[in-house]
Amino acid sequence: MWRTNLSVACAGLVVIGFYTAVAHTIPQLRSEVPAELDLGAGMTVDALVSAGRTLYLEAGGCTACHGLGERAPNLLTDHAGSGPIGSRCGHRQAGLDCKAYLYQSLTAPNAFVVPGFSPIMPDARRQLSAGQIWALTAFLQSQGGEVTVTTDDIPVDAAAPTPPPAGGPFASGEPTDPRQLLSDHACLGCHVLDGAGGAVGPPFDGIGTRLDAAAIRNAVLDPSAEVSPGYEHVAGRMPTDLGHQLSARQLETLVTFLAAQR
Amino acid sequence: MTDLLHLLQAAAQDPGYGHVPGIGGRGAVWIAAQVHLMFAAFVLGVPMFAVVTEVVGIVTRDAKYDRLSREFTRLLVFAYSATALWGVALLFLLTTLYPRVWGYLSAIFGPSMWLYAGLFFAETFTLYLYYYGWDRWTTGRGKWGHLGLGLLLNLWGTTVMFIANGWVAFMMSPPEGVTPEVLPQQVALWPALASATWMPINIHRLVANAVFAGAIVAAYAAYRFLAAKTDAERAHYDWMGYVGNFIAISTFIILPFAGYWLGREIYEYSQQMGITMMGGFMSWLWTLQAVLIGVLFLAANYYLWLGMGRIPGAARFRPYTKWMLLVLVVCWMVWSTPSTLIASRSEFSSMGGARHPFLGALGLMSAKNTAVNIMILTTFLSFLLYRRANRRPVVSWARMGTLAQGAMFALSAATVLFYGVYGYFVEAIVRIDFSVYQVIVVLMCIVGVTATDIMMLRGSASRGPIEWGRMPNRSQYALFVLAVTFTWLMGLMGFARSGIRQHWHIWEVMRDTSDAAATPALGDAANMISLCVVIFLGMVAFIFWLGGLAERPATKPQPAEGA
Repeated sequence: MWRTNLSVACAGLVVIGFYTAVAHTIPQLRSEVPAELDLGAGMTVDALVSAGRTLYLEAGGCTACHGLGERAPNLLTDHAGSGPIGSRCGHRQAGLDCKAYLYQSLTAPNAFVVPGFSPIMPDARRQLSAGQIWALTAFLQSQGGEVTVTTDDIPVDAAAPTPPPAGGPFASGEPTDPRQLLSDHACLGCHVLDGAGGAVGPPFDGIGTRLDAAAIRNAVLDPSAEVSPGYEHVAGRMPTDLGHQLSARQLETLVTFLAAQR
Repeated sequence: MTDLLHLLQAAAQDPGYGHVPGIGGRGAVWIAAQVHLMFAAFVLGVPMFAVVTEVVGIVTRDAKYDRLSREFTRLLVFAYSATALWGVALLFLLTTLYPRVWGYLSAIFGPSMWLYAGLFFAETFTLYLYYYGWDRWTTGRGKWGHLGLGLLLNLWGTTVMFIANGWVAFMMSPPEGVTPEVLPQQVALWPALASATWMPINIHRLVANAVFAGAIVAAYAAYRFLAAKTDAERAHYDWMGYVGNFIAISTFIILPFAGYWLGREIYEYSQQMGITMMGGFMSWLWTLQAVLIGVLFLAANYYLWLGMGRIPGAARFRPYTKWMLLVLVVCWMVWSTPSTLIASRSEFSSMGGARHPFLGALGLMSAKNTAVNIMILTTFLSFLLYRRANRRPVVSWARMGTLAQGAMFALSAATVLFYGVYGYFVEAIVRIDFSVYQVIVVLMCIVGVTATDIMMLRGSASRGPIEWGRMPNRSQYALFVLAVTFTWLMGLMGFARSGIRQHWHIWEVMRDTSDAAATPALGDAANMISLCVVIFLGMVAFIFWLGGLAERPATKPQPAEGA
């Protein structure tokens, strides 16, 4: 009887040991928590790039898609003969320099989708803080290009984990500077303000002469409801969740500001 | 309202994690949750086929099925208290080690938690009534009433599982609108419970419970077979082991389809989560899963082939087994081929991409889907040969029927291969649908061949009765391998489902800010899974041993007759 018990126990342990051993022989990948950046006065560009590299290869989860050449464009190697991302980001989208394009790609990924790929990229703000996003931007710029991200780009409170901006009960202390809001939400990637910005959508310059406040509010909340004449070909590009991302106060601030652009 | 906000802000500043020396808080919760789930799967799975076996006993008026059903239920009674104890341990650990998470979840799911507790009571009383009423309600309406208790037991158990699944599914896929800024009191109960992954998890677990319970029952029978002192005992437990294995493998065949649905829903909910699961840091997990499932297929077929030794007339099929073994091994190797490789930049450059230049082609879903479907077909063929081993069809169209069955197999395999190869020449969005076509063709083959076989063997002549008990001991070790592998696989899939949330308690709503927030690598996870499996199987062995002590001589098994 004891012999049977022993042989059964041994058989079980051998099988368990076999699976455990197989699990140890294949690559050991931990999913790290994105490291918070120390954005003190001594933060150099090199340190920013280094932090971005760690995020890109580990906790950011970027390599799950970028690098295979099927789900998303290769970033560290050539894509379609245009070189790595740092050398092509500056002329990817009209009106956006490399830094603005990369920041937009991370924070409003559906604003521009590289032809041939699906809009599967998530908004990095759901997982990463503002500082981490800028570190990633710096790292991607360093891949064949010049790093123009500086610590001045990074908001003061950028080290804190920052879920996507949202209007909610904790929204006190939220940014209400309309120009910062336009920058934070990458609006200028597609709209021209003060002669600068992308020319994908209708310009913000003079928007107050074309639309009243209610129409601007509607256009922000439901961009596909009424498409400006001449921009039908880019219909559907504008994020549809700005109503969730902006608090009521932020939305009204933005609408008032835009309505005043005459 | 303001006070509540202050409270929540204070809670947000204080992560409130407890600690357990040695294994840490997360390790303790991992073990308690996993072992509880293993026992829960067993006590939810066994009643399903206990009731089916009782129905078979009533319909066929064959007492051996009733005895088998009762024996299944006896195992249930002993395992039930262990399930409850581990559940209570999990509850205490969650409330003391993760008070903030527990507080958040209970603020949303409070009413369902009370319902859960109430149904648990109902399930417990129904189980005891079902088991202890066995000898009281043996005939007529009483027996049907007893069967009704078995059905109620399943109903309570399934509802309890669905409720708990709702909490787990919410942590994976909180509905749209639930953000870090939304208070739990503002989240409606039903949308939170019925989140995107809820129903796929329900169905997947329902099927998996039957698979798991069948495998554990088969292992119990295997142990009793090895320990048997009489031929009658050996024959009974040989038969019981066969039935347990049949339940495990036949339900296991449909499990990948439920898993496919769950995976699809995860992708639909969050591309990022789906990619993390299949192509991100968890991609190697599926290679390990392929190794385990390959072992399952091989062990199940090996058991069947050895089982043919107890069937007169089965020798004529023996030459085919080596070819079936070859097919299974080749398919296993294809399935185990990793899709993409985690490599350095220079390694990527030298390979010309993330895929190996030659083997990379076998790592794609087209090849893997083809391999798994061929393995399912091969295993089904083993069952068919086993079933027909001692029968000689007497219908006039027997030869034509056999040819038709062969044609169905050939056509099915050819179609699976066709879509497997064609998948390399189309875009991913088209290729995804090919796996559905492959599955449908295989299912049609299984249904068509089985229906033909049932009609063809009606009134068939016997080549001799199955000699239950005439099995080599090594066949029983195949059943142990199956039980251990299913248990380990359950632990691995538990890690996959929970791990894809990464450092989120509740996906993109509540961050894990504890020291153990990083999701461990497969090696560390395997250590934990193995520990859970050893604890579970050790306790199961102890509980079943206790059950054996309590066995009265009057309930000693009688020899099994026929098939």
